[in-house]
Amino acid sequence: MSSWRSLLLRLGEKCPEYAGNADFKDQIDACHSLVRREIEHSEDDVFPFLLQCAEQLPHKIPLYGTLIGLLNLENEEFVSKLVESTQINLQDALETGQCNKIRILMRFLTVLMCSKVIQPSALVVIFESLLSSAATTVDEEKGIPSWQARADFYITCILSCLPWGGAELVEQVPEEIERVMVGVEAYLSIRRRVSDAGVSAFEDIEETNNVVNEKDFLEDLWSRVQDLSNRGWKLDSVPRLHLSFEAQLVAGKSHDLSPVSCPEQPGPPGALSGIAFGRQKHEAELKYPQRIRRLNIFPSNKTEDLQPIDRFVVEEYLLDVLFFLNGCRKECAAYMVGLPVPFRYEYLMAETIFSQLLLLPQPPFRPIYYTLVIIDLCKALPGAFPAVIAGAVRALFDKITDLDMECRTRLILWFSHHLSNFQFIWPWEEWAYVLDLPKWAPQRVFVQEVLEREVRLSYWDKIKQSIENAPALEELLPPRGGPQFKYSAEDGTDPTERALSLELKDMVKGRKTAREMISWVEENVFPAHGFDITLGVVVQTLLDIGSKSFTHLITVLERYGQVIAKMCTDDDQQVKLIMEVSSYWQNSAQMTAIAIDRMMSYRLISNLAIVRWVFSPLNLDRFHVSDSPWEILRNAVSKTYNRISDLRKEISSLERSIVLAERAASRAGEELESAESKLSVIDGEPVLGENPVRIKRLKSYAEKAKEEEVSVRESLEAKEALLARAVDEIEALFLSLYKSFLTALAEPLHDASRDGTLRPSGHADDMTIDLEDSSVMELDKDDEQPKKSHPNGSGERKGYNLDEKQQWCLTTLGYLKAFTRQYASEIWQHIEKLDAEVLTEDTHPLVRKAIYCGLRRPLEE
Amino acid sequence: MASLFKDLAKISAYRDRRFPGTQEEFEDALLRSITVYVGNMSFYTTEEQVYELFSRAGEIKKIVMGLDKNSKTPCGFCFIMYYSRDDAEDSVKYISGTILDDRPIRVDFDWGFQEGRQWGRGRSGGQVRDEYRTDYDPGRGGYGKLVQKELEAQRQLVDYGTGSLGAYPPVMPPPHYGRHNGGNHGRGGSYRHGRDYQRKRHREDDHHRPDYPKRTYDRESRRNSDHESRPEKNPRFRESGDSDEEDDDDRKRRT
Repeated sequence: MSSWRSLLLRLGEKCPEYAGNADFKDQIDACHSLVRREIEHSEDDVFPFLLQCAEQLPHKIPLYGTLIGLLNLENEEFVSKLVESTQINLQDALETGQCNKIRILMRFLTVLMCSKVIQPSALVVIFESLLSSAATTVDEEKGIPSWQARADFYITCILSCLPWGGAELVEQVPEEIERVMVGVEAYLSIRRRVSDAGVSAFEDIEETNNVVNEKDFLEDLWSRVQDLSNRGWKLDSVPRLHLSFEAQLVAGKSHDLSPVSCPEQPGPPGALSGIAFGRQKHEAELKYPQRIRRLNIFPSNKTEDLQPIDRFVVEEYLLDVLFFLNGCRKECAAYMVGLPVPFRYEYLMAETIFSQLLLLPQPPFRPIYYTLVIIDLCKALPGAFPAVIAGAVRALFDKITDLDMECRTRLILWFSHHLSNFQFIWPWEEWAYVLDLPKWAPQRVFVQEVLEREVRLSYWDKIKQSIENAPALEELLPPRGGPQFKYSAEDGTDPTERALSLELKDMVKGRKTAREMISWVEENVFPAHGFDITLGVVVQTLLDIGSKSFTHLITVLERYGQVIAKMCTDDDQQVKLIMEVSSYWQNSAQMTAIAIDRMMSYRLISNLAIVRWVFSPLNLDRFHVSDSPWEILRNAVSKTYNRISDLRKEISSLERSIVLAERAASRAGEELESAESKLSVIDGEPVLGENPVRIKRLKSYAEKAKEEEVSVRESLEAKEALLARAVDEIEALFLSLYKSFLTALAEPLHDASRDGTLRPSGHADDMTIDLEDSSVMELDKDDEQPKKSHPNGSGERKGYNLDEKQQWCLTTLGYLKAFTRQYASEIWQHIEKLDAEVLTEDTHPLVRKAIYCGLRRPLEE
Repeated sequence: MASLFKDLAKISAYRDRRFPGTQEEFEDALLRSITVYVGNMSFYTTEEQVYELFSRAGEIKKIVMGLDKNSKTPCGFCFIMYYSRDDAEDSVKYISGTILDDRPIRVDFDWGFQEGRQWGRGRSGGQVRDEYRTDYDPGRGGYGKLVQKELEAQRQLVDYGTGSLGAYPPVMPPPHYGRHNGGNHGRGGSYRHGRDYQRKRHREDDHHRPDYPKRTYDRESRRNSDHESRPEKNPRFRESGDSDEEDDDDRKRRT
């Protein structure tokens, strides 16, 4: 990399490029003197690179802004182009709804204002356009209140600029910025407060109904900004480099900045109601998601004591690094630990990463990304960070009873994976007490599931050894044994069946075809022994042959899957098939899940059969004590969903190719036509049409193009037919899933929810709910207090006192909510059917609440 | 996304010499591939462990374990096929360099599995890198094959007696999870490693052993235990760096 590039890239870092000198001012001087010369002969290289640095390393924007301010002193043209290009990029980002880009470019413009590169009033004009768009959106008559998410986002963007340039704006354009602030305040008074119900990591049912007292994200930011304003706009987290160069910068020419326009309202104005409102709101929230939901897991005496605005700024930095440096391991970790702030922030960093890992409905990246970041940070800060992470784990563990089910699953997957990267070392003795808890206690289930996943990533003996400080926990390890083959020689199974099994094994060894096996089954086995025994023999034997590894399983299913398919054509038979699988693999949750998953891939098992099996009595009994049935259900739903979303992707790419093919066909057609209509002279006679060879060639081109168009059209039609089927399939799946949940929950809920609550009264974490009117909450204020002051309850162990049925209901409702939330976009498309067939009058209020929360659908409509 | 730090044009520093095509075709294949190559695995890592880890990046279609062409036992690499490109990308981005079965594994895009590529290309049947290694790597059959042969020869002449090899260095310094204010729990990590690796070698007991012929596993483990009493490094052999002259590795080592 040429040296000007690396100086720009490394600006603000203690690095060899700057000979280890970490003084920002010196660095800017050094970088400036090199870059200004470079611009003279390779402006076209410097220009995009500088913009890229500012956009992708936004925590360093103040440094880049100051540098640009210095460049502006001698090369106004260069900087003017830069400003212009930034304005165009911002306009483009607004139109395409690229949230991160909008936010970052506005910060960049703010910093350019600080460096005298643009007029403060021009920035205010941009604020005002966003403000007015936001205010219109939430207006009941002129706007579309369902799109409040976008309006809130615009306001967030304005407020987010103020830590970087609030002081300058107040000093230079006090009246204008005051007008903006008044506008924001007015906006806050007309918008609806956003409820976190359904997407909060902790199940705060009482708070969602107590929403009046809780600030939502925007109100919280507003209060932080007001606090900043009360402090005279002074904060520690934003380096104010332009001040060091102020004497020079004042001489710069401030450039014009064209205003931006916000996109039109996405539909006709007016307040919608009911389903249409909910659907639009859901769509808007997907496009303009809330970036973070603070977890507040650490007690206040542990976290760094920061000003409210500094906390916000550091979160912004961290989230930006996570976003822009995804995929660059080394740099991501280095920037996370090396933010340009004069205070420590390990706790804040850990909490921010966990808030992303546990963000609902979905984190911006796959959870495994955050696993990697945490691993890298533990290595980058070996003295400090592992202990902070351990503190977070303990805090989350203490609150696990309130943790959302989806978050619990993510936490289990993360923690087991994390430990596998650090030799499985963990002070398990701290948690040995879970053995005294009932087997359905969430903490105990958590430990058991972490151990299960550890064993899957490693092997039984190794994990057994890793818990040697708490050997009693061995009780929670998964079974050690291998498959349970019904017809293994030692067992006293029926000799005829065993003989059949041996015969079948020989057929496989003799490489008989599936067809031969099918006729053997149909002629020799089924008539004499009936369905159940035949199925047992075939499935157990084939599974046993495929038991050695994943690949063995696939091989046997590919070769002999048809035999099973021929036998199990309806859901009843397929449920029996799954029962055989789960009996054979009863000692391995992983292999059970894999085998069922593969059988669904080969369409030997339908997703409906899986739902039926998951909700069969044997499994119902372990809903609250094991993740295993849920894992299988998750796989089945996600596979169905993947099929549909793959089809959608293929269709949209085919639609693009159709446009291309049409264009090509019409072009070829036109060319042919124009050639044919030309007069040419052949043998002295005027003839209609050009040179016949060319005509012939053009004709064949035109035909081919037409054919191509037709063939793309045909494959599009075929895919659309498949999609229609897949849509029906997923609708049927969700209906069956909801009905199964309802049926399963009906009786236990009736028994468990005494006085309309599921948790013992007087308990601090009551999931209290008033059945008569779920919007009014009975709350024991005295009991609520202590929980508030020790949000993570670290040190004090909350007594666990739910009975089995209550816990069963809570767990099952939690999964109901989690499934609904994860597939909310799909479910919203079938909501009418759901309302008609599932959410009837006599649906239990808690069930209704779980589903509505998952959909983020207002309960009181 | 972050184009500042990645040379997007350069998708892999490796070049499979057996790829039947030009460099451009090779890169094009990598850019579209849904297959990843996993290297530096332990010989004892099972498909199910691989499945558990790699399914966290997306749904897995197929796993092909790399096998020693003589013994038909796993020799420390595998191919994983995903259903989607995005998932393959995520597994390269997020899993490469992390630990599986106590080893930092390497994950790269692969140009696509073809029959025959599952076999090791080293002279002795395993991977080329295990031919010349001079370090003792208990997860990959002890010493490199050449060293093993040499030691075998020496054993005819000298009796080394029974010494201990000493602990294998941990892959990473163990973290301390002490409560932040209360100091750590005094849990060192390194004393455990020697034992862990011995345990590992007894995994033949496991019911889940893949069906690669039994006898070779036994032979392998006997050979390992023999060499436990051998000195750690034999200076008479080449370092692993200058070794790739003849039959190349599945991929050349990163330069």
